[in-house]
Amino acid sequence: MNETRYWHRRNFLRVGGLSYLGMSLPQYLRAAAAKEAAGVATAGKAQACILVWLSGGPPQMDTWDPKPNSNFKTISTNTAGIQISELFPRVAKLMDRLSIIRSMHTEENNHPEGTYYGMTGHRPNPTMRFPSFGSIIGKELGSRHDVPPYVVTPPQSYPHSYNAGFIGPQYDPLVVPDPNQEDFKIPDLTLPKSLTPELIETRQAFLRVVDKRIRDKEEFAEFSNMDAYQEQALRMILAPNVRKAFDLTLEPPKDREAYGRSRFGQSMLLARRLVEAGCRFVTAEGYEHSEWDTHFKNDEILRRDLAPKLDQALSVLVNDLDQRGLLKTTVVVVMGEFGRTPNINPEGGRDHWANCWSLLIGGGGIRGGCVVGSSDAAAGYVATRMVTQGDLFATIYKALGIDPAKIYHAPGGRPVYIANSIGDKRGTPVQELL
Amino acid sequence: MRIPLLVSVVGLQAALAAPPAPQNPRKQVPAKVVSLRVLPAGPTLRGAGTAVRFLAMAKYTDGVERDVTALAEPALSDPKVAEVGPGGRVVAKADGETVLRARFGGHTAQTRVKVIQADKPRPFSFAREVGGILTKKGCNTSDCHGGVKGQGGLKLSGNATQPKDDYHYIVKGGVFQVLTTESGGPVLPRIDPKDPEKSLLLLKPSMQVPHGGGQRFAKGSPDYDRLLAWVRQGAPFGEESTEAAVRTESVEVLPGETILDASGRQQLIVLAKLSDGTVEDVTTEASYTVSDIHVAKVNADGLATAMQPGETAVVVRAAGHAVSQMVSVVSKPAPDYPAVKSYNYIDDHILAKLRKLNIVPSGLATDSEFLRRVCLDLAGTLPPPERVREFLASKNPRKRELLIDALLDSPEFVEFWTFRLGEILRYRARSTQLMKDTQIYGEWIRESVAANKPFDRIVRERIAAEGYAGPSRYYYELRFLAEPPEIIAEQTRLFLGRRIECARCHNHPFESWSQDQFWGLAAFYGSMVDLRNSVMDDSVVIDVPEAAAKVIHPRTKKTVQPRFLDGTALAKEAQEDPRRNLAEWVTAHPYFAETLANRAWDWFFGRGIVEPVDDFRSTNPATHPELLAAMAKDIREHGYDLKYLMKLIVSSRTYQTSGIPNETNRGDRTNWSHVVPKALEAAVLLDAIATVTGVREQMGEMPLQSRAIEICPDMVESKFLEAYGRNDRATLPEAKPQPGLVQALHMITGPTYTTKMLDDGGRIDRMARSGVSNRQAIEDLYLTALARFPEPAEIEQLDTLMRSASSRKEAIFNLMWALVSSRGFAYRH
Repeated sequence: MNETRYWHRRNFLRVGGLSYLGMSLPQYLRAAAAKEAAGVATAGKAQACILVWLSGGPPQMDTWDPKPNSNFKTISTNTAGIQISELFPRVAKLMDRLSIIRSMHTEENNHPEGTYYGMTGHRPNPTMRFPSFGSIIGKELGSRHDVPPYVVTPPQSYPHSYNAGFIGPQYDPLVVPDPNQEDFKIPDLTLPKSLTPELIETRQAFLRVVDKRIRDKEEFAEFSNMDAYQEQALRMILAPNVRKAFDLTLEPPKDREAYGRSRFGQSMLLARRLVEAGCRFVTAEGYEHSEWDTHFKNDEILRRDLAPKLDQALSVLVNDLDQRGLLKTTVVVVMGEFGRTPNINPEGGRDHWANCWSLLIGGGGIRGGCVVGSSDAAAGYVATRMVTQGDLFATIYKALGIDPAKIYHAPGGRPVYIANSIGDKRGTPVQELL
Repeated sequence: MRIPLLVSVVGLQAALAAPPAPQNPRKQVPAKVVSLRVLPAGPTLRGAGTAVRFLAMAKYTDGVERDVTALAEPALSDPKVAEVGPGGRVVAKADGETVLRARFGGHTAQTRVKVIQADKPRPFSFAREVGGILTKKGCNTSDCHGGVKGQGGLKLSGNATQPKDDYHYIVKGGVFQVLTTESGGPVLPRIDPKDPEKSLLLLKPSMQVPHGGGQRFAKGSPDYDRLLAWVRQGAPFGEESTEAAVRTESVEVLPGETILDASGRQQLIVLAKLSDGTVEDVTTEASYTVSDIHVAKVNADGLATAMQPGETAVVVRAAGHAVSQMVSVVSKPAPDYPAVKSYNYIDDHILAKLRKLNIVPSGLATDSEFLRRVCLDLAGTLPPPERVREFLASKNPRKRELLIDALLDSPEFVEFWTFRLGEILRYRARSTQLMKDTQIYGEWIRESVAANKPFDRIVRERIAAEGYAGPSRYYYELRFLAEPPEIIAEQTRLFLGRRIECARCHNHPFESWSQDQFWGLAAFYGSMVDLRNSVMDDSVVIDVPEAAAKVIHPRTKKTVQPRFLDGTALAKEAQEDPRRNLAEWVTAHPYFAETLANRAWDWFFGRGIVEPVDDFRSTNPATHPELLAAMAKDIREHGYDLKYLMKLIVSSRTYQTSGIPNETNRGDRTNWSHVVPKALEAAVLLDAIATVTGVREQMGEMPLQSRAIEICPDMVESKFLEAYGRNDRATLPEAKPQPGLVQALHMITGPTYTTKMLDDGGRIDRMARSGVSNRQAIEDLYLTALARFPEPAEIEQLDTLMRSASSRKEAIFNLMWALVSSRGFAYRH
């Protein structure tokens, strides 16, 4: 038996194995350094991904998959043959650059589980914490220009869905507060007024004295790893490009207005700035917790509150990315954790529905102007070409140059696909979009 | 030459190959031989021609035992019964008993060898013979056909643990499906009885047709011929198809504990132990995998060669079993190895192994090291500076023991261990969404700790919890009862230390857990019913077998009855109360005590004797198996008394060893030669910072005096705690706290490390206003944060730095920041 092959592929032995010297420099930093050294480009066309998360679950028939059971009319888009809901006239002009998947089918019908599923492709499980696809992308692609690779803005419902699970907390996202606030800043990246770079240096001098005795005792990998992270943290704090990326006051006020002066609009703007600065994966939410969860008065809330914000901010985002030449390197995905029921309930609302729902995707080498899959007459069940969460991940990974068939090994040795589909199968990229 | 099938080909093959000789030990070793022994001891062989390798092991004055087989001049007393054949093996000839004697270095050793059924031909066994080839050649590894779904439509069991299934897929064909017993594809036999040489089983591995796995053996090689002969004979299943058949019960690797010196080699022997008391040498039929190839290599014939000092596990797969063997390579013998005194039996084991490995343990921890360490480990709290002064000044020879007793009786002990048990018992709010449910669960934990309730009773109370009892709240996830397969996977991991969750969907790929075993256990949870009528009622869970939803096996689609791991069904009279019966079984199981021992070890040393702490498996060996067994026995004898167990551990010399390594033990992480730093848990660290800064963190809505270890993680948001990796308790704790970027950022910009420290009434504020001198401030803060007096050099340097600050406040602020940010503070060491 070839031992070398065994050694590399049977990670579970490493878990129980006894490496003499303990762990080595965090893989994260090494990957980051290597990527910087090799130049910025990834193997795929895309460099980054923006996830526009519609918390609560948007109704597919009232948005991107219009059907007779919707009370809204349909409108044409700038791609022949594609029609969407009348609520999104500006998005209709993006249909040459965005595509629609109408046959999404997932397995969790409630918000906490659905969000977790939407981020990880797995159902929640008390013995295993799966990594979110944002953490995976951050890990695989590494950091660029000292910008944190994975940012979640603003803080989300069910925050642990966004975390790195068993791949380690170093791949957790940087969570930033509401960008629409007057005094918006990232606490983690902002030096308090009293703290100047000189003072930081002085403190490091104190620290060296205090820590000398334990450092002299023995080389301990965790200590030197922390040193490496401290260096990186300082670079992030002091480097102007990172601060500027997060500084919305540098954006012309009319551009801030264009996105919409709401939490959602400003999150979209921040996402663009971060991607511009080198971030790899940004979750732009901004809707209130489960705001799209229209169990009551679905039509009214859609028309009045939910659709206009999205219509405005999404079209500004896509055009903005396009004009800056970023759209071809940035995948944009617009989705929630599931769709909504074909029937309207007695309160005029629609309830949760994971059987068949829709999303928008485009940019980063993903074809626009396509419709993938179809639903039945009520947009209730998938009629053709089912797409799973794992397939979606595989598509995004492929666009980013990450091997969609890659396997991680969870503690205990269980192999886990990074694009995990229904029934533990491997998700496959949607070829029609690539 | 035609190989007669019904004669065991195993022994024949073994006899044909000559073993490589270990290097001549006489030339290289300066030490003298102290004793000699022969292995295996007292083997019984079945059938003429059966051969077993033997080892002569010589123990030297330098403490190393070496393989001297090649020089051992073996002789058998009765050559009619058995003789020494080619390759130095003992070959059976006729029924009877004989004595094998070996001589080396002025010593003699002997062992009895018995032969039975010499005249009967060895019955054929598919499981041993064909299964052995499939294992040896790597066909059934989890990367290939042994993977969850097999490969190329052929599914084999890992390590040939399921020979009947393997036989079916090879002889009859069919494609394995995870979720159903039906075949998922064409039913294509891998053998062709009409044209044996065209069997896929032969064509593929010999690469006569394309094979994704490459060439495993050549056409005409012994393995090829054996398989061909088997097909020609009609592909029998052989012996194990009957109940009375002889089975391989276990596999043993000799010589057992293997310690090599830097240039050492050791021939391993792999013995299959059969149910009729006989043994078979399967050394050349086994596959060997080394976990750290830098330490030692093992070739296909089981010869281990030392590479560099360290320890590695060698996983041996043979005859449907997998076992692992530790192989250690020692550094040069330490001259004048010191005599080290044990404090209790823990030290006996630890020190004995260190001696064998030629690693000298470090000296004892200083009083200051020990004080801080044991206060954090027993009470999660820094010792107050007055106590530090007292303890360091005391001349009482029993002060350490008195300190331990005081900590065990302290209220902080109760708080801290409520926290630690809360982590593994998953005390959190999300499960129930009702504060009162969360509270009664938490209170039950606290009461159990305060009363020092025996751990087995705690576990039984939770497993069998029902009605309104606090621990029954554990079964709820968002007010719905959790599902049986998830409960059983978690409980098995937590209480029995085994990860069987893979077996939920298929037979475990690496270990021998079967899907049936998993679901048989899961079925114990299949009777739980929540009696509430509406969402507004209280949750009440009891077992009502007739009313509960059935537990369905996902593959056979049949209802599963509760069955213990060994397959016994739950007795009819017990079926009204399955969880109580499960609770009794779990807490009486041998795995229970050893898992508790291992977890306790991890709590105090930062690493289990088996690591990860809840991942016992044949391929993850314990570093000190006898110690673990001794502790497990001790735990049982002392009624699972947690305080007893903790006192035992912290009273040992091993726990009280210094953190300063010496030349021989630098880098040792698995033998406890010196204490290795362990990161403080997030909540403990936050509380410690609050103690030093004198400023409490506001924990959500809790009263200001609340400590971070008191809160449920999902009740209170905290950037600090998130950054430092607190467990959310939605799953069992997986990762240990690790340094990370978010922590590093937090240390520079986070309020805990910056503005909060300056709060009015905090220590900085008080110290600045009181006009305390630099030296006094340095001493006070060192005592508070690090439980030691500062060294003169530290005082000098810090004083100088402080004097160049722009204000008193800033000077103290900088000093305090440095202290709470230092690794010496954030770690227990």
